[in-house]
Amino acid sequence: VSIPDELLDESAEDLFENAPCGYLTTSLDGTIVRVNRSFEELTGRSRAELFGTRFQELLSRGGSIYYETHVAPLLRMQGSVREIAVEMPRPDGSTLPALANSVVRYDEAGQPRAIRTTVFDASDRRRYEQELLKARRREQEVALELQRGLLAGALQAGKEIEVGVAYRPADTGIQVGGDWYDAFWLEPDETLAIVVGDVVGRGLRAAATMGQLRSALRALASTGLEPGALLEALSEFARRHEVGQMATVAYAEIDVRLGSMRYACAGHPPPAVVDPAAGARFASDGRSPPLDAYEHWVDRPQGTCRLAPAATIVLYSDGLIERRHRPLQDGLDELLVTIDRLRDETPDTIASSLADSVARGPDARDDVCVLALRWRPDAH
Amino acid sequence: VLERNNVTVHGVPDGRPLMFAHGFGCDQTMWRFVWPAFSDEYRIVLFDHVGYGGSDVSAFDPGRYASLDGYASDVVAICDELELEEIVFVGHSVSAMIGVLAANQRPERFGRLILIGPSPRYMDDAGYVGGFSEEDVKSLLESLDSNYLGWSSAMAPVIVGNPDRPELGEELTNSFCRADPEIAATFARATFLADNRRDLEQVPVPSLVLQCSEDVIAPLPVGEYVNDRLPDSRLVVLRATGHCPNLSAPEETVSAIKQFLAA
Repeated sequence: VSIPDELLDESAEDLFENAPCGYLTTSLDGTIVRVNRSFEELTGRSRAELFGTRFQELLSRGGSIYYETHVAPLLRMQGSVREIAVEMPRPDGSTLPALANSVVRYDEAGQPRAIRTTVFDASDRRRYEQELLKARRREQEVALELQRGLLAGALQAGKEIEVGVAYRPADTGIQVGGDWYDAFWLEPDETLAIVVGDVVGRGLRAAATMGQLRSALRALASTGLEPGALLEALSEFARRHEVGQMATVAYAEIDVRLGSMRYACAGHPPPAVVDPAAGARFASDGRSPPLDAYEHWVDRPQGTCRLAPAATIVLYSDGLIERRHRPLQDGLDELLVTIDRLRDETPDTIASSLADSVARGPDARDDVCVLALRWRPDAH
Repeated sequence: VLERNNVTVHGVPDGRPLMFAHGFGCDQTMWRFVWPAFSDEYRIVLFDHVGYGGSDVSAFDPGRYASLDGYASDVVAICDELELEEIVFVGHSVSAMIGVLAANQRPERFGRLILIGPSPRYMDDAGYVGGFSEEDVKSLLESLDSNYLGWSSAMAPVIVGNPDRPELGEELTNSFCRADPEIAATFARATFLADNRRDLEQVPVPSLVLQCSEDVIAPLPVGEYVNDRLPDSRLVVLRATGHCPNLSAPEETVSAIKQFLAA
């Protein structure tokens, strides 16, 4: 391979001065002692102006705070930083979005002496990144709006029924999850249906799936199917239309004249029933697999239970009981104790207290959804 | 509690407790050039604020940590759990005020406060210069945003799940000063929008204010303000510049703390 002479003749000075990036040396406190020509061009400042200035003074105010609280400590602790995003206001009023890498120079005794920094123009990249961030936030907002829209108007109370709900979306920074709740009259003032469900996945898709399952369940419930058969019909809907596979649902019908409940759960944790005298317990019958978990027909049992006057029923999503590093049963046990402690509160308070009892970390994978219903036969 | 805040204890088991609290941005590694100088005499207690370092990130609750009181309650919980008494509390940056709040909450546990680069209010106010405007805080939040693109969904679990696996080395560059973007933004708001000026007047113990020269985050007039308002305090201006003398000038920092403790 023959290399033209003029390439071999490049001087170190020329390589430094006209490098395809800004290059500067600062003392440990950031005071600039040397810069190359590219850095002068990038910043729009001459080296005479730059000498004696601190690098962090060339950054936006937020950037200089970030430098002092993050970059300077990192340089001391690990001797280098890379891909630090900074904004550098220029004298002409424009701003240079840039990426900076720095390494600390040590002397022979291992003492830090100076910092070398390269600065790259990142205008296009930053614009695109900001568009991505914006798009991601917008998607979260849309999904949240969609979810709120679907849940709005779900609550129907009557003179013998008091319903409270609490809904806490999986925390900001992560897409919305797919929990939903519903409460609607099958027969006005006779039978009220309540639902809490959870679809797999998150974001727009989960919100859309939830809307379909919720509508399908309402439609199927109006045909007079009993709870177990209703959930299997919903499962069949999920299978046929390929929507909501492995979704879980807790469904209950309250006969407000008789004070009885029929219920079924497809892959969903059991409803809690609080008897004002006897305390809280789980209604553990009527258990079957999640929707569309098998390709064949599943026999889905249902349970029934009598309600004492002023009894409270609590449906909830598994976000309420699932924690890292804890067996599920512990979560269920703890939930029962908490519900029992809250039994004299209003359904609204019960629902929100339960939902708030869960620490909502940013790695909280799940929404938390709680619906509490109280039967008050003597309220009118 | 000890797990939640990744509490680590060194030094003399029955010595007087010397507790170090890191500020906004990084984790307890910030103290590594400082605490060893005290380990033959004191019981050293280090910890990470929830969301930083090796803390339990799942314990982060945006409501609880929306104000500095949440962080102060964690400090109190650690002190209660370890049954610390006559504590010498060393707080850097925002943790100086977190220490003030904790000492006011549980005066019987605290012996002395050492406040490094404290500011009771970062934002300017009528008759008060904190040095920050609303625009500045907004600009910081933007800066945090653009510096957390590295916090991709693929990396987050690695960082959160393996705080003490050095073999992940290269992958975890910047891990000392890395947090989930939402947590960082929450802590930034709690820090830079706080107003704890009134809390200074109730501090029940002797305090030392360590002020850097030329600190853009907590400038000298703010350090002087803190020193004036504290009932029993002295101010030492360090030769060190910047905001992190515990890293840039550990010897000077250690000797100022030792002098105060000997007095």
